[in-house]
Amino acid sequence: MNATTIQDKTSTLGGSRAGMSSVDLPRLAAALVIWALLLSAPFWLPLVGGYTVLGTRVLIFALVTLGLNLLLGFTGGLSFGHAAYFGLGAYGTGLMLKFVTASTPLAILVGVLVGGLAATLLGPITVRRKGIYFAMITIAIGQMFYFIAVRWNSLTGGEDGLTGFARTNVHFGGWTLDLHNPTNFYYFTLFFFAIGCFVVWMVLRSPLGHTFVAIRENPKRLRFLGLPIGVYIWIAFAISGFVAALAGSLYALLNNFTSPEDMNWILSGDFVIICVLGGMRTFWGPLVGSVIYVVVQDYLSSITVNWMSFIGAIFVLSVLFFPWGLLGFFQGRFKK
Amino acid sequence: MSIFDFEDYKINRRTLLKTSAAVGASTLLYPAMSAFAKSDDPIKIGQIDPQTGTYAALGGNQIAGARLAVDQINAKGGVMGRPLQLLVEDSAANVGQSVQKARKLVNRDKVHFLMGAVSSSVALAVSQAAQDMNTIYMDIGGHADAVTGDKCSWNTFRTCSTTWLLTAGDFQAIFDKYGKRWYFITPDYSFGHALHHDYLTQLKKAGGTEAGNALAPLGTTDFSSYLIKAKSANPDALIVLGAGDDMINTLKQATQFGLNKSMGVGGPMMELEVLQSLPDAARYGMWNMEWYWDQPNVPHVADFVDAYRKANGGKTPTARSWFGFASAHALALATEKAKSLDAQKVAKALEGLELPPEVALQPNKAIYRAGDHQLIGSEYPGTIKSGGKYPDLFQVTDVVDSSKIARSVEEKGCRITYPS
Repeated sequence: MNATTIQDKTSTLGGSRAGMSSVDLPRLAAALVIWALLLSAPFWLPLVGGYTVLGTRVLIFALVTLGLNLLLGFTGGLSFGHAAYFGLGAYGTGLMLKFVTASTPLAILVGVLVGGLAATLLGPITVRRKGIYFAMITIAIGQMFYFIAVRWNSLTGGEDGLTGFARTNVHFGGWTLDLHNPTNFYYFTLFFFAIGCFVVWMVLRSPLGHTFVAIRENPKRLRFLGLPIGVYIWIAFAISGFVAALAGSLYALLNNFTSPEDMNWILSGDFVIICVLGGMRTFWGPLVGSVIYVVVQDYLSSITVNWMSFIGAIFVLSVLFFPWGLLGFFQGRFKK
Repeated sequence: MSIFDFEDYKINRRTLLKTSAAVGASTLLYPAMSAFAKSDDPIKIGQIDPQTGTYAALGGNQIAGARLAVDQINAKGGVMGRPLQLLVEDSAANVGQSVQKARKLVNRDKVHFLMGAVSSSVALAVSQAAQDMNTIYMDIGGHADAVTGDKCSWNTFRTCSTTWLLTAGDFQAIFDKYGKRWYFITPDYSFGHALHHDYLTQLKKAGGTEAGNALAPLGTTDFSSYLIKAKSANPDALIVLGAGDDMINTLKQATQFGLNKSMGVGGPMMELEVLQSLPDAARYGMWNMEWYWDQPNVPHVADFVDAYRKANGGKTPTARSWFGFASAHALALATEKAKSLDAQKVAKALEGLELPPEVALQPNKAIYRAGDHQLIGSEYPGTIKSGGKYPDLFQVTDVVDSSKIARSVEEKGCRITYPS
């Protein structure tokens, strides 16, 4: 929802906060409604035919695409390789739990660092290219990690995937959080989702975020102004890599399992589809896209083996009729 | 222009119509999903099998076999007086998707049992997920030793053979006929690795040597680079360890390369699905099967074949069909025996369960061994009938009693402990 303000401000680079200071009650109300729905999800999900684990999956996909969207929607970098950082987070966490420690928070920390640092280190290579070449090189790097996971049998379990680890309970002083309970794990995930949202939101409303949007809108002009564009895209790439790794880490804990498919470019493509479906110029677009994608996949895949064609059809229709995604579409209509 | 800029938001007639249409459409979806819940309190089996991808044909037959069993059981009054219901999910032989489906079946659909798998990777992963959820899992068709070996668990049972049984079924026959230098084409995941390891153990013991081993990823379509290597190694026997479409592609291309002219070809697992899809020129070699439809001297087999053909438009049951059939029956029998749906009680009832003749459909006894939860039945080594017509494509030369060749529970490294 910040997007709108930022979009309006694209010309005033690094802009003043004038847009933010005007009281924005409707936007606040929307955020409150979304958070209320998320907080109460375990109670209303069964009533509409869902189940708690489905809600957790939605949150995880929303988190990774929120991170990706910082790069894709706000900075204008089409990455087809974010599953790699997602998967590195998952493997980092899984391997920690399996071989090193029984502490879930520590495993998450390691997962986030592994995935995030990989994105940070590889960022400079990718940001030297733009457009389709940027997309290609992100695919190539992503697939590199995928093949490492497939071939390094002794460590990753190869195509069989990584098994033999399980999330453990979290202790705060004398109090224990039982993570085996799906509802508790939902709230555990929601907590990290909230952190992810906060980070991305803070970035977007800062001068840094405004610069990202400016890069998307007119990189040439910024270059003339003497800004090191590559450095800024690199920062966006790194932040989104950290967020993706956090989501991957939670995904490994959700399934107590991870496999090379969690790094495959197909999953990267799914992330992009989610962003586009929901609306990649909007803050909550990834969440909306994730709800659609995860729920449609969950229900349709029980009914037909051709569920992917329905996702494809939805995607095509959405690109034809809502090129800015569902949220973008509604925003466009109601603004007038 | 946020969507929630309510001051500009006016509901007009058109918006209202659109919204109500959308809501109406979404409510239409739900009855279709929950229609089953209306019948009185069925006992549910969740089956996860590939309906798409490399193993689609194999998975499809496992499902057809299970369906036939469920229909038979319901026709006879169900289990404990309750109807039995089969919920099928597509795994696409993809491990991540299978784990997700397993959790969905237990969490959303509240199934009492899980079964399925063609790929061993899937079997291992679902076994672990089922253990997390305190649910019985019947591995129908994932063969790797580990499932009932060093990765065995109290909740997991298996109907199909171990990779050891597959390789031991025809090792001696291939060794005697073709010779002692073997070249392997191995699918690069747990199933292939296990088969390779098991053959190699026996080969070395018998004084043979390995001429080479090519690891091919699951779902490879072009095997030429592996076949060229095999040809230049010039072994006595080319051993093909794949399954499903992988096996079909390997054999078709091996024929084009003329490999079968210069070396013997064979392997541990031939299936009727594969034979049916092969051109006549690519049907050759010595293989092992796990069940065969043509057993004239075994009672009930002909009845099963007829019933299956009737239910499936004339298709002949394969080993996969029998796996699905026997697995569903075994779960029902054990539940009936335990008089309970409690996972641990049913697991105890499955331990040592002997399949009755109309389910076992083989000359030897078929028993779920208590120590490792592995069904010990029969192997059917033999040769392909050249010029045969579907479904009469395989000549079983010997029916091996698996209890004579199986490794002991200790050798397999399985120790089953129940959670307290």
